[in-house]
Amino acid sequence: MRWPVVVVLASLLVACAPVPSAAPPIGGSPPVAPRPADASELTGRPGAATAPPASCDPTASLRPSGPLPPPDRLPAGSTMERVRQRGRLIAGVDQNTYLMGFRNPFSGELEGFDVDLAREVARAVLGDPGAIRFTVLTSDQRIPALREREVDVVVRTMTATCERWEQVNFSTVYYQAGQRVLVPVDSEATGIDSLGGKRVCATKGSSSLANVAAASSGPIPVSVRNWTDCLVMLQQGQVDAISTDDTILAGFAAQDPYTKVVGPQFTAEPYGMAFPKADEDFVRFTNALLERLRADGTWASIHRRWLGEPPAPPVAVYRD
Amino acid sequence: MPVGAQPRRRAVRRVTGLARSTPGRLSLLALLLVVVALLAGGLTATSVQRRAAALEAQADRSEPLAFAAHEVYRAMADADATAAGAFLSGGVESAALRQRYEQDVAEAAAALSAATAGGSRSPELTAALSALSGRLPVYTGLVETARTHNRQGHPVGAAYLRQASDLMRSELLPAARELYRVETGNVVRDLEGAGSLPWPELLLGVGALVVLVLAQRWLTRRTNRVLNPGLVVATALTALSLLWVLAASLLVVYRSTTAKEEAALVDVLARARITTLTARGDETLTLVARGSGTDYENDFVERAGQLTDLLARADGWSDASSVASALEHHARWQEVHRQVREADERGDHTIAVALALGYDEGGAATAFDALDDSLVDAIGASRSRLTGTMGRARGALGGAVPAVVVLALLSAVAATFGLWQRLKEYR
Repeated sequence: MRWPVVVVLASLLVACAPVPSAAPPIGGSPPVAPRPADASELTGRPGAATAPPASCDPTASLRPSGPLPPPDRLPAGSTMERVRQRGRLIAGVDQNTYLMGFRNPFSGELEGFDVDLAREVARAVLGDPGAIRFTVLTSDQRIPALREREVDVVVRTMTATCERWEQVNFSTVYYQAGQRVLVPVDSEATGIDSLGGKRVCATKGSSSLANVAAASSGPIPVSVRNWTDCLVMLQQGQVDAISTDDTILAGFAAQDPYTKVVGPQFTAEPYGMAFPKADEDFVRFTNALLERLRADGTWASIHRRWLGEPPAPPVAVYRD
Repeated sequence: MPVGAQPRRRAVRRVTGLARSTPGRLSLLALLLVVVALLAGGLTATSVQRRAAALEAQADRSEPLAFAAHEVYRAMADADATAAGAFLSGGVESAALRQRYEQDVAEAAAALSAATAGGSRSPELTAALSALSGRLPVYTGLVETARTHNRQGHPVGAAYLRQASDLMRSELLPAARELYRVETGNVVRDLEGAGSLPWPELLLGVGALVVLVLAQRWLTRRTNRVLNPGLVVATALTALSLLWVLAASLLVVYRSTTAKEEAALVDVLARARITTLTARGDETLTLVARGSGTDYENDFVERAGQLTDLLARADGWSDASSVASALEHHARWQEVHRQVREADERGDHTIAVALALGYDEGGAATAFDALDDSLVDAIGASRSRLTGTMGRARGALGGAVPAVVVLALLSAVAATFGLWQRLKEYR
């Protein structure tokens, strides 16, 4: 009579014992999109983009000291003569900016508007456009490379600014660009003003990044190493827009039909070739070369090759 | 006085009386000897079993897992170097490079599933394993995107490749390194477990023998007979068991010490191989970065130094010809690398690329492949020596556990029988 009670009690106890009610959850972290090396969101504002001093016109360069001398009659002791002795011009360029300076994946060679101009400098100094050694620079390596004299000249979508004039010399303007915005084709953004609170990509050390950070609408600047890293992040949905010079954006739009360039040019970006501060003779020499390239149609033919029908070339301005 | 105390006291008196009488003492002694024989035999068998289990764990789990971890690490480092090389070769990559990359990914996935299957033994590896299996498909996806863009001549392909390589170097390779570190640690731990000196076995055996000898002496004094055949047989059986266990265990200790050296050699060679692959990736990526690859070149110089050290250590331990030829190929590769750097510094990028990817006599790829092949040979040889040594060690312990148990049972039976002979005289 007592046993059934005990059995019932025992089975009740067993039923109350904690039994795992479900399989344990499968671990694993939520997917995080891989970022390009060194990509980061800026919280503070980068330097630069300060108002230029009233006295400075960044487009004004040094006047040529005469007509362009042929390669075998370079002034003795000049920077050009030193380059000629070495046998090669060392030029800092980009390999990531489609149409301006990029690596052709089929041939492995560097090509583009900037690269062709650098070859013209090599032709003027050494008589051979192939007598050149390219060093690939990121935006923020350009000025240090010139200061350390690792390169003779930088031809890399580099905007002449008064701040940079204090550290390097620029040639006359060889291309007049302006900053605009690239967004996915289905974006409703109409320019930098409608990107408040959105992530906007530009390279570290570029004037574009400073301009994005200074925009009144308050976008979140995201900095990367190379321009193409921006396109990667846009395609992966990690940024909402890319803002930089229209030349670079045109290269992106050519690589990705699902993007569009919107808004007006909101800055003027005059490109100049940059030289070490001490090499004034090389700047004057290159300005004489640029005069010739503008006059004899070489500039126009290089423009046609990469960027389409050429406008009138930028007018040279000198500060003597 | 409570009821029932009287019979209890009587029972106690009967037991103590029995203990004072000689037949009672003989019975107790028989009981004691049986307990001692069974206890010593059981504990010794447990100890031997533990040693055998460590050997088995080493041979069946930790050694294959360490090798799987090495494979994961190696295949991923090789995939990274190969993808960069395919990019550098320009245009559409060669069929050979493409095949090598695909094989690397397949091997990495296979080795990873082997490593994951055995992962429950080291719970601290959960994070590394889930990072590896979660990120590998992301990596291959990025590489495929890079290929697609490359095929269309878009420079953004290079950016995808850089992103892939960065993912590999910042997440996948560190996780693989952690996996390899823990699994090699498990091998060493198992070998140490198998190679501990047999003190418990010795103490148990000697203790059992001492008890038997004392019992013998007591019996001699009590019964005036010099020898009790049962106890003599029991003593002999216990001594036999002890000798068997000691001989087998010491053999295992000796083999484990040798195996630990072999395992250390395998580890050094495996690390040399991974260092080779990383250095190759550095060499290629320096050329991909084209002038802004100083970080990669610095890393290459560091890896080359480590490789020299590792190969020198391996050469000191092993007289294998493959290690010697690895050293030779390493020196040749360094020489070609110097030429590559010279050409690149001069600005002859095309010549530098041709040298770095060249499969002719003087190319870096030839020297690198030869170095890798010698390392594969050396790893294979020392790994088969390791498994051979461990196989012989397991052979030495074969049959020891049942033998100890049977001998202990027989010893108990013999002791009981011997004392039974004496007890019969009191009937």
